[in-house]
Amino acid sequence: MIRFVDYSFCYEGMAENTLKNISLEINEGEFVLLTGRSGCGKTTILRSLNGLIPHFYPGKTEGELLYDDKSLLELPPSEIAGKVGTVFQDPRSQFFMTDTTRELAFGCENMGYEREEIIDRVEKAVIDLNLEEYLNKSIFALSSGEKQQIAIGSVYALNPKVYIFDEPSANLDYEATNRLASIMKNLKNAGYTIIVADHRFYYLRDLIDTVVYIENGSIESKYTKDEFCNLNESIRIQKGLRTVYPDKEIKSKINKLTGNKVPEKNNILKINNLRFSYNKKDTLINNLSLNVSSGEVIGILGHNGAGKTTLISILTGILKEKSGTVFFNEKKLSATKRRKLSYLVLQDADYQLFTASVNEELALGIRKVDEQLIDSTLQKLNLLEYKDKHPASLSGGQKQRVTIGASLIKNSEILYFDEPTSGLDYDSMIRVSNLINELSRNGAIIFMVSHDFEFITHTCTGILDLDDDNAQILEANNDNLQKLANKYFGI
Amino acid sequence: MNESIRKQITQVSFHGTARLDARLKLFMLVMLGIVSFFVNGDIPEIILMTSIAIFVCAGSAAKWGLSMLITYIIISYLNTYLSYVTIPVITLVMNIFGVTVLKIIPIVTLARWVLKSTYLDELTVSLERAKMPQAVTIPFVVMFRYIPTLLIEYKIIRNAMKIRGISDTFLKVIIHPFATIEYILIPLLMRCLKVSEELAASGSTRGIERYNKRHALLKVKFGLAEYIILVFVIMLVVFLFLLDNSSLGQINIWRWQ
Repeated sequence: MIRFVDYSFCYEGMAENTLKNISLEINEGEFVLLTGRSGCGKTTILRSLNGLIPHFYPGKTEGELLYDDKSLLELPPSEIAGKVGTVFQDPRSQFFMTDTTRELAFGCENMGYEREEIIDRVEKAVIDLNLEEYLNKSIFALSSGEKQQIAIGSVYALNPKVYIFDEPSANLDYEATNRLASIMKNLKNAGYTIIVADHRFYYLRDLIDTVVYIENGSIESKYTKDEFCNLNESIRIQKGLRTVYPDKEIKSKINKLTGNKVPEKNNILKINNLRFSYNKKDTLINNLSLNVSSGEVIGILGHNGAGKTTLISILTGILKEKSGTVFFNEKKLSATKRRKLSYLVLQDADYQLFTASVNEELALGIRKVDEQLIDSTLQKLNLLEYKDKHPASLSGGQKQRVTIGASLIKNSEILYFDEPTSGLDYDSMIRVSNLINELSRNGAIIFMVSHDFEFITHTCTGILDLDDDNAQILEANNDNLQKLANKYFGI
Repeated sequence: MNESIRKQITQVSFHGTARLDARLKLFMLVMLGIVSFFVNGDIPEIILMTSIAIFVCAGSAAKWGLSMLITYIIISYLNTYLSYVTIPVITLVMNIFGVTVLKIIPIVTLARWVLKSTYLDELTVSLERAKMPQAVTIPFVVMFRYIPTLLIEYKIIRNAMKIRGISDTFLKVIIHPFATIEYILIPLLMRCLKVSEELAASGSTRGIERYNKRHALLKVKFGLAEYIILVFVIMLVVFLFLLDNSSLGQINIWRWQ
């Protein structure tokens, strides 16, 4: 049905081809996973399929790309819209309308269908994908997972034969990821052709027919489902791939973390009976008490809405608690004092880059600028060569390291990370994990919000699950991690 | 055919004046905005504000309309009070500030209501029927959809600034106003670029560039109600300008005795 015939593509202005001589056949009803390191070319392949290449991202194409034996490259995206539907990575920037019903109807309205037909199609999408509870809501009121369900519904109403998903699980919690998997299962059973590009693919392990591994723009290997799921661990790691069975490969890293080095400092953060609520009805954070010391890395877990972001906002001093106290080394800390001690690395580094060069970025907000300290920090983070570059020119991982550098200059005692590995491939995830471990060894107290189970097992010394009624910090040993895995992966 | 779902799909969440054609609403916004800026008398201004408040209240936004009207009245009194207090430079600056705020309030009242009460697909179809080119309709719709997002992004950036310790206190903002603006604008712009690219890609793959005639989910019509209100608005604009130029336009009603 879809055929890449010796297909190559070079983005305008780039020196080298991003895709080199891709030859691939995708049959009708097949479920294909495209995977590989960041930058390998999987997104470029998806863009070629939905017409964004070459009409939205100009460049030079070579070879052919056929859909039912007709060239896809000659059709603009507006013509391909009825044949190939795309669901993108970030649910926040996919919707065009401000309410859900109209977003579901958006594609149909563009196609020029009559009103009755639009209502028919939206009705079918609502029934088939279970979206009734989300009708007539403001899209801004939905969670990431819910937004994405609407995005899928909007594509479903167009009834394309091919569905493309570009890293759909990057912004979802485990519950939403499971829901995504069941939607994909329904689509597969209904006979649609599905192509997914993702770094995390454990949720697809029962659905995949073929896995295409891409390296440096070419197809390095193809696997059947069984071949891929049984891939030897060393080969998998060498290829930079995450595990298909994060629930089975739990290797608690606690011994590795606290084993050798004793942290240089010994700070203690104590929280007594913290309470917070946004309105009078539900208390979001109820009587939370914890004790954390230097060198610990605590994973803050829970479904979206459990209060993870709220807790971090309170601990970093952006929000004020309703009751309860926070002590640091026996001294009581108000919200403003907490802010001076803390640093938060947001999921999207773009919100935290304020200047025109990396050097300026690290010197920001500091009264006495220490050039040497800045240089040594940049060196530690592998950013010295980018010292005078504009932060906007860096990659996502590099931007993240710049914001971490700012925290080191600020000498923050307590560090918070919000989803530091969303969308990262295996190698980058390990790099972030190692960096966080090093920071904790140097004496920082670290809190991490994460849905990335593999990352949690590699990095955390303790876990705090806000889904529990009496949330306590549990040691990140094999038992507790296994219990967490059972919850996440629904065993 | 599921009747209950179909009913929900075609449900209308706004009523009254909110259901008027988007073209009319935009026309009103422009015309009444112009009036607000060029008319100076107290009586014409309060008539304008009250008319807008009534119009908005009749469009499922009673709380907004009333609260803005009350705000307007309070600020009018305060502004006049300033003229009794004479501190050389400050009085003049506050007076100019006050007058500008008073001219903006009616516009903001109407604009926010238009933003919230207009279904974006009806806006697109309306503009299309008015023969606007795609180069106008698409940016327009994106702007409508992006403004609420902008507020969310702004809040996140302000929090990020607080964490970083830049312009995190009121004092710092006052002392370094331009730096503060720069710190807010740079991340805002970066996010804007990213979101607009992703939005465009998402719209593109769902056919936004197609040239066929569009139908909205609910019927779009510039009918009798629209024509009547159009005539009324034009008459109101003419009336206010005439009033402003007459002797009634010179009366000062916000007096403190």
